[in-house]
Amino acid sequence: MSAALHAEWTKLRTYPGTAWLLLAVVAVTVAVSAAAAASARCPAAGCGQDPSKISFTGVDLGQAAVAIVAVLAVSAEYSTGMIRTTLAAMPGRIKLLAAKAAVVSVLILAAGALAAAGSLLTGWLILPGHGFTRAHGFAPLTLADGPVLRATAGSVLYLALIGLLSLGAAAAVRDSAVAIGLVLGVLYLLPIVAAVVSNATVRRHLLQAAPMTAGLDIQATTGLRSLPLSPWQGLAVLAAWAAGALLAGGLLLRLRDA
Amino acid sequence: MTATQAPPRTAAPAEHGSFAATLRAEWTKFRTVRGWVIGLTVAALVTVLVGLLSGAGSMSSCNGHPCHFLHPVGPGGEAVTDTFYFVHRPLASHGSITARVTSLTGELPTATGSGRVRAGQGPQSGMHPGLEPWSKGGLIIKANTTQGSAYAAVLVTGDHGARMQYDYTQDIAGPPGRPAPASPRWLRLTRAGDTITGYASADGTHWTQVGIATLPGLPATVQAGMFATSPPYSVTTAQGLLGMSGTGGPTLASAALDHVSLHGTVPGAWTGTQLGAGRSDASPAMPGRYHQAGGTFTVTGSGDIAPDAPGGGGPGQTLDHTLVGALAGLIAVVVVAAMFITAEYRHGLIRTTCAASPRRGQVLAAKAIVIAAVSFAAGLAAAAVAIPLGSHVLRANGNYLYPVSLLTEVRLVAGTAAMLAVAAVLALALGAMLRRSAIAVTLVIAAIILPYLVAVTNVLPPGAGNWLMRLVPAAGFAIQQTIPNYPQVSNACAVAQGCYPLAPWAGFAVLCAWAAAALCGALLLLRRRDA
Amino acid sequence: MEATIDVQGVYKSFGPTLALDGMTFTVAPGQVTGFIGPNGAGKTTTMRVILGLDAPDEGAALVGGRSYTSLHRPLTHLGSLLDAAALQPSRTGRNHLLWLAHSQGLDAARVDAVLGQAGLDKAARRRAGGYSLGMRQRLGIAAALLGDPPVLMMDEPFNGMDPEGIVWMRGFLRSLAAAGRAVLVSSHLMSELEDTADHLVIAGRGKVLADTSVAGLLAAASGDRALLRTIDPDRAATVLEHAGASVAVAGAGLLTVTGLDTGQISALLAGQAVPFSELSAHRATLEEAYLGLTHDAVEYRAAEGVRP
Repeated sequence: MSAALHAEWTKLRTYPGTAWLLLAVVAVTVAVSAAAAASARCPAAGCGQDPSKISFTGVDLGQAAVAIVAVLAVSAEYSTGMIRTTLAAMPGRIKLLAAKAAVVSVLILAAGALAAAGSLLTGWLILPGHGFTRAHGFAPLTLADGPVLRATAGSVLYLALIGLLSLGAAAAVRDSAVAIGLVLGVLYLLPIVAAVVSNATVRRHLLQAAPMTAGLDIQATTGLRSLPLSPWQGLAVLAAWAAGALLAGGLLLRLRDA
Repeated sequence: MTATQAPPRTAAPAEHGSFAATLRAEWTKFRTVRGWVIGLTVAALVTVLVGLLSGAGSMSSCNGHPCHFLHPVGPGGEAVTDTFYFVHRPLASHGSITARVTSLTGELPTATGSGRVRAGQGPQSGMHPGLEPWSKGGLIIKANTTQGSAYAAVLVTGDHGARMQYDYTQDIAGPPGRPAPASPRWLRLTRAGDTITGYASADGTHWTQVGIATLPGLPATVQAGMFATSPPYSVTTAQGLLGMSGTGGPTLASAALDHVSLHGTVPGAWTGTQLGAGRSDASPAMPGRYHQAGGTFTVTGSGDIAPDAPGGGGPGQTLDHTLVGALAGLIAVVVVAAMFITAEYRHGLIRTTCAASPRRGQVLAAKAIVIAAVSFAAGLAAAAVAIPLGSHVLRANGNYLYPVSLLTEVRLVAGTAAMLAVAAVLALALGAMLRRSAIAVTLVIAAIILPYLVAVTNVLPPGAGNWLMRLVPAAGFAIQQTIPNYPQVSNACAVAQGCYPLAPWAGFAVLCAWAAAALCGALLLLRRRDA
Repeated sequence: MEATIDVQGVYKSFGPTLALDGMTFTVAPGQVTGFIGPNGAGKTTTMRVILGLDAPDEGAALVGGRSYTSLHRPLTHLGSLLDAAALQPSRTGRNHLLWLAHSQGLDAARVDAVLGQAGLDKAARRRAGGYSLGMRQRLGIAAALLGDPPVLMMDEPFNGMDPEGIVWMRGFLRSLAAAGRAVLVSSHLMSELEDTADHLVIAGRGKVLADTSVAGLLAAASGDRALLRTIDPDRAATVLEHAGASVAVAGAGLLTVTGLDTGQISALLAGQAVPFSELSAHRATLEEAYLGLTHDAVEYRAAEGVRP
């Protein structure tokens, strides 16, 4: 297994696109978080907004870059035909998928940590100037605050789980465009459908089941009682999605001809 | 063994037919890849399915019972709110009514209660003095006292001065200013058959015409008189994924009118009638009243005479909700389009293509035409099926769908199909520039689907959200707007309720501009690069 | 571990197409085994089954008595070259070999060693996307040698090599076999294999048509034929036919004589004073032998000429 890990790590670090994509994860997340913080306003106490969620808005787009990294880690093998060489060197297909998952996750956790830290920093800098002050009932955004720490660490974990979800999807469908379309479709479309249905119960259930909305519950620090799921429950739902995708991908990888 | 012979050379094809040949080649290339054809079929199917599923999940109920609301329809076929207090008497085919408005005051709910502004309910708690900006009071000539019948009114408003309004959607501005005892406002309506003219004056002698209304098919005897009405007050304090929540409730407006004079009356007396404001009225309103003291009438009413627009927690759904699946179809179409171009670079097919058709611009144009055409066809088929099926499911689930004209429905179907086609071209162009299908697909999804998600889930405040929806390719969704944004109706209609900041074709033009820019970029890069 | 490949009764269908129809043969160590057959005979499919990339419907393919997927550090048991173009264009050739080495627990020193063996020292640190066809083939061979395996398997390794490269490859493969390795080389071009292979497995339509040594095949195909060049073909034909041989005209002044060896022919002609300028025993080329065998097994044949 250590040989497989070493090989997959070498593969990822000698592929020039990896560094650019990880940089994109950080840049995009921080930029969008800054834009969200800059446009947020809290005119008076009781404005019902969540500064932590606003700070980490960038994850909504950063997760797309994470998905690309994970999808390409598998799909590039198929598009170049290198999968045959890889399987000849490492015939144990489940071990191969596990090694890819481990290496990709480590890289995403690192990039995610940078992205989350940057997002928190932009929120801490910008939001107090827009009315998110103690006077309006908001504590400053620092890691010393328990819920904020949870939101930050949770956002990093969220990105890693999105990576695993994408990896499993790519192993299942093999083509990079189809895999990315599938992953982003599941992530972005389910909340839209939830917002459009008029029945409140159905909406609540959709929000509990959809990977993006469930997972992003981890970023909430206010109004926790009105969330469809508690923060950690939400992240667990996303973890279940990721596990399911990896299972499907692993099974298809194992059973199909290369 | 017989020697093999090479076939004789055939003559080269004519130069002017070469684009047609390239186009035919690209069409053959597309239809012979089973996966791409399947992808487009999936796009159409998923559009219909997701729309149906979202409709199935939209069971509407009022406290557990099916909702029964009245939805009057105006002369133009649009859904309207026609709720006000009417003090009236009959008027013949030629005549006029004049009055002087000395004040317009009102009451707003003091409630700080949470929960949605619900139709058919009274205020949550006490009222305090205050006037809604679009409170109305003045003179009205109406075909009869049925909700939704034709009318023309000249009126004063809370914050928008004197105006003439007729047939619900028409609104003409008049002299500004709120009437007060020191500065009253004189109003007059004159009827000549089907034509009604509205006048306003500051002193009763010098009249300025505010507007002329033609109401076809007006009966010989109509009702003319005074009215007052005031739209519900609502402030959304939190907009989240779980729906809007806010405070609000019905409001009241009282108009004091004197010097009331009529010409061309038919024998009768002043009658006070409440239109709407019952339990089955879709808009929150309270019953009104009137009081006559000598020559002064004080009319108090609640509600609105205006087109019924989505938003503000009302029970209606716009028809474009049946097409929420088009977003899924768009993703499938974008994936196929990206693969259509990047497949050339994989396995070196690009060399064969360039050898067969050396004019690279022609190849790109031919590909764009093919993918746009097939995406349009798929979108057209999907929308044409999704709308009737989806409407049926929504209505069966107790939802009310705002009526739309046939032309609007055609725009909805064709516009959605066109959106899919243009998004496909955008993806094709990005794929040609980047040569990596995954990144092209992600960029298109991030530019079209993500802003829609952001707008619908209220991640950004409304101002920033609207700004975003004007600039990004997602602006194209405006083509799906079925109910226009009426400036004279104050409602919190956002993207989730089917309202967009840009006019339909303007929004679509923004999307087209992005696709055109991408195509230009692709053409430039294609010409400069080695194959 | 014994250096062999054992293919035992493998059947494989892809949908309605039967690609392998009971393919059975063994690759022995110490010699180069040529795996030849027309296009579509099942050569690449057999190799994919051996590597565990495709699962056979029936039968098994064993490397050293074990299935490939059960091997630990498989590249140290069987080195293969299936598709030299299967490279990530933006990665350098050296880095491609580096991850392969790491997957077998080998280090960069081994990578540099095989790069030297394959003659790619200078090109190794360039993007693989810029490699010529010949360089990609050499990189593929280097990859196959990475684990210093006792068994080597290559699918059409001569594709795209220039004459110098072919000569190098030929000598290289022979030296690998001479060192005791089992080498399986597939091709559909006979001239390449003629001087390289010792043993041949001829495949057609998913089965083995012949499993023989090169010398044996050539001898069988050559038969008892001789080529005679003479200025008096009629008289030579009469003399030889009188002695029991069958004579055919092969060209102007050229006769093909079947049934007598060259010694007998020259004696007969000299006895009758028939002048001749050339007498040689006909040695069939591998191509002739192969075409004769596979004539019926060809999957794809072009039309013989085009009617005007």
